[in-house]
Amino acid sequence: MARAATEDQALRERFERDVLPLLPSLYGAALRMTRNPADAEDLVQETYLRAFRGFAGFQEGTNLKAWLYRILTNSFINTYRKKQREPQTVEGPDDIDEWYLFDRLGAQAVESSAEDEVLDQLPDEDVKRALESLPENFRIPVLLADVEGFSYKEIAEIMETPIGTVMSRLHRGRKALEKALWETARDRGLVEGERTDGRD
Amino acid sequence: MGATEDHPKLLCRETLREIERFLDGELDQTVEVRIQHHLSDCSPCMQRAEFRRHVKVMISEKCTEREVPQGLSARIHELLRDTDR
Repeated sequence: MARAATEDQALRERFERDVLPLLPSLYGAALRMTRNPADAEDLVQETYLRAFRGFAGFQEGTNLKAWLYRILTNSFINTYRKKQREPQTVEGPDDIDEWYLFDRLGAQAVESSAEDEVLDQLPDEDVKRALESLPENFRIPVLLADVEGFSYKEIAEIMETPIGTVMSRLHRGRKALEKALWETARDRGLVEGERTDGRD
Repeated sequence: MGATEDHPKLLCRETLREIERFLDGELDQTVEVRIQHHLSDCSPCMQRAEFRRHVKVMISEKCTEREVPQGLSARIHELLRDTDR
């Protein structure tokens, strides 16, 4: 009895030491997933609760961050997606040019550095909204790769999808994000109009 | 464009096709080295690679949350304290 209590205490301490410091990163991801702070808080709390209950089964030394993001992603898909009633877009943004943003910004640029400067001028909030505007199937891989820095293999494990699906969604998601960024820059008046010069 | 290479256009095509995986660090070393070599030779490909890298870094920097809502950490501590495993 005393031994079990000691083990429980040790596990609690390990959880607090290893898992709690990941809170800012998990909260950020939850916010990009749910798109509102109240749901993000709920999602993070649910994730911590599930992680805590499953922590004894987590093998120390394996990928803790990916394990937690898998719980987060699962919780989001099972709970908040239903609640948010987001229409499930299966087919994605496919008709976007391969170099959509590069071509458009390049056509605007006076100096070689100007195309990068336009992007840097976008306020953080605008870029967050652009990412959040992507359908969930595309938003999550882009979030996991570009914001959280996970590898394709880790994303495949987190999302429980084949790696080929991850790569395809990431590619299409990034193109859709480029289009959203262009439209944001245009709405902000940082670039002029829409160019339809048919460049591929 | 890559005048020192035998088939510069093929290399451009391969580079642009693989640029995303290259920037994500997901290529086999042989392909990665070949692309790196081509990029140092071919400024149009390099310009596109640098642009994509810039977009990737910009997204990471601007979409990272640096603040957690006040009290969330305390609420989680409380939640776990009251929870039996």
